[in-house]
Amino acid sequence: MIELQGISKTYRRPAGEMVDALIDVSLTINDGEFVAIVGSSGSGKSTLMNILGLLDVPTKGAYRLKGSETSGLSPSAQARCRNQRIGFVFQTFHLLYRTSALENVELPLLYSDRASIRGMGRKALEMVGLGDRASHRPSELSGGQQQRVAIARALVNGPDLLLADEPTGNLDRRSAGEVMNIFHELNRAGRTIVIVTHDLEIAGHCGRIARIEGGRIVADHKTADTRTALEGAL
Amino acid sequence: MNRVRLISQSARMMGRYKLRTAFMMLGSFIGVAALTLVISVGQAAKQKMLTMARQVFGDASVMVMDGGGHMFGGPRNPGTRLRLDDLQTVANQVPDIEAWDPQQGLTTTVRRGDASDSAQVLGVSERFELVWSRSASSGALFDAAAVKSSARVAVIGQTVAGRLFNSEDPVGSDIQIGSVPFRVIGVLERWGTDPHGMDRDNEIVVPISTLMRRLTNVDTITGAKLVIARTADDDAMAKEVRGILRSRHGLAADQPDDFSILTASAVRQMMAGIERVLSLYLPMVAAISLLVGGIVSASLMFASVSERAGEIGLRRAVGARTEDIRLQFLVETAATTLAGGVGGIALGYVLARMGAARMHLDGVAPWSAALLGIVSAILVGLLAGLLPARRAARLSPVDALR
Repeated sequence: MIELQGISKTYRRPAGEMVDALIDVSLTINDGEFVAIVGSSGSGKSTLMNILGLLDVPTKGAYRLKGSETSGLSPSAQARCRNQRIGFVFQTFHLLYRTSALENVELPLLYSDRASIRGMGRKALEMVGLGDRASHRPSELSGGQQQRVAIARALVNGPDLLLADEPTGNLDRRSAGEVMNIFHELNRAGRTIVIVTHDLEIAGHCGRIARIEGGRIVADHKTADTRTALEGAL
Repeated sequence: MNRVRLISQSARMMGRYKLRTAFMMLGSFIGVAALTLVISVGQAAKQKMLTMARQVFGDASVMVMDGGGHMFGGPRNPGTRLRLDDLQTVANQVPDIEAWDPQQGLTTTVRRGDASDSAQVLGVSERFELVWSRSASSGALFDAAAVKSSARVAVIGQTVAGRLFNSEDPVGSDIQIGSVPFRVIGVLERWGTDPHGMDRDNEIVVPISTLMRRLTNVDTITGAKLVIARTADDDAMAKEVRGILRSRHGLAADQPDDFSILTASAVRQMMAGIERVLSLYLPMVAAISLLVGGIVSASLMFASVSERAGEIGLRRAVGARTEDIRLQFLVETAATTLAGGVGGIALGYVLARMGAARMHLDGVAPWSAALLGIVSAILVGLLAGLLPARRAARLSPVDALR
């Protein structure tokens, strides 16, 4: 699914100095994997996430998504790729607050070429168990429900890859558990999921944990045994 | 297909930011209202001027008036020395003059029994109908014999007829003009209101000889209209008439005219000046208010772009291309200013109708003004949306999502 080869990303800070956010990162994620990328803030995990999500381009290196090289893609082709292949889930949900849950979920469909979008939003809401909340505004939903709306939005176009940036960061334990359960179900159904988090307990849900530090991947444990993976990550 | 979905969603989004949308609409609302008002009143006024000029001048004519100086604005010298035989001489000497009609008038009280009216009484010749193209709707105008014999006959306007006779037929009845009894022999056709707001149907026409002898007791006239051949050059004609009048009045070369001459071409020039004000300067003022409205819309839209950075980043993340973002913000601004503009057309039209009623204008045609209003509202929206939309489209998704 994902092949990163020697990816580096260098930023220029507003002050002028250059910052190496990622240094020679190589990473392969196969179809159907459930991966956690852990690291402290400033470790480069968000930059990695943005590059994986085609929101940002690397300074150096090659990124193949589903077997096709992404570096030559035009901005429009990247947008199309985000629309069709990638679903995003954010820590702060990023819902449109004056808009119903259903309209939020249908947002990606506005930018797709599908001839008919009828019923797709509702179906995605039902997948996250919020079929009866379609007309509610985000302010009328709990944090966990809001994040589930955001997951439904990420799913609505049927992407292969789900990228979640601290998806439980703003949620209480119970809601976080609900959200992780949804990710598990989706993973079991065959979706590739990458979660960026600094919460090791959340990372413990995943089948593989990659630890990033100072812009480099310092540990990468692919194991069915979560405990071993956790300890390795620590 | 997806453009349609995107545009309709953009329009719905505007409904969710009611206060901002309302302020953005206000700018184009006021601007377009001003534009509609100015243009539709301007058009009606222009129409009115053209109609009046046609009514007064007919196909080709020259006006002679007593007193020198300028016709419009500026002082007119006193000393009315224009006499009937001055004009008779002019008419005899200039072959291109086809007909002429002198005029003298006063405003006085007209009575019939208990009913009274204050009316403009005009003394004219038997050529009145020919020269002014005004005829009687009932009864008849007087003939040369009546003028010659200073007959006490009167032809009254529609307003006078209404005030003194209600719905009775005035023809054959007696009225008193000042203290002199007259017999009504006809009623004039309806004429309307002139540009000064004077009701030209509140008039009574009597033989000029009768008026001068019995009502005003003067031997001068206030003016005359000379109908000239269509092929004649009215400026050359005016020159000729002026020469004859100056020599008859014994004016030395350094003395100014003690009369004034007005030609259709002079009036056309003056009207062109007024038209420039009506159709250029006033709309320009309205356009400036529209421009200010556009600037308000643009700055509100800029604020909106900063405020909605997160939304823009999200839309980019879920697949919006830069051009989709640009389109969304353009549609939002244009739809808002258009909605404001449509309201502005309605307000401008209502104001124009009210203004036209006060100024006795008719035929306020809203269509060209409405079309211009809509086009300029969309244009202002697109222009106002252009820079904010560009800024929104240029936001990097990573920065916008932060």
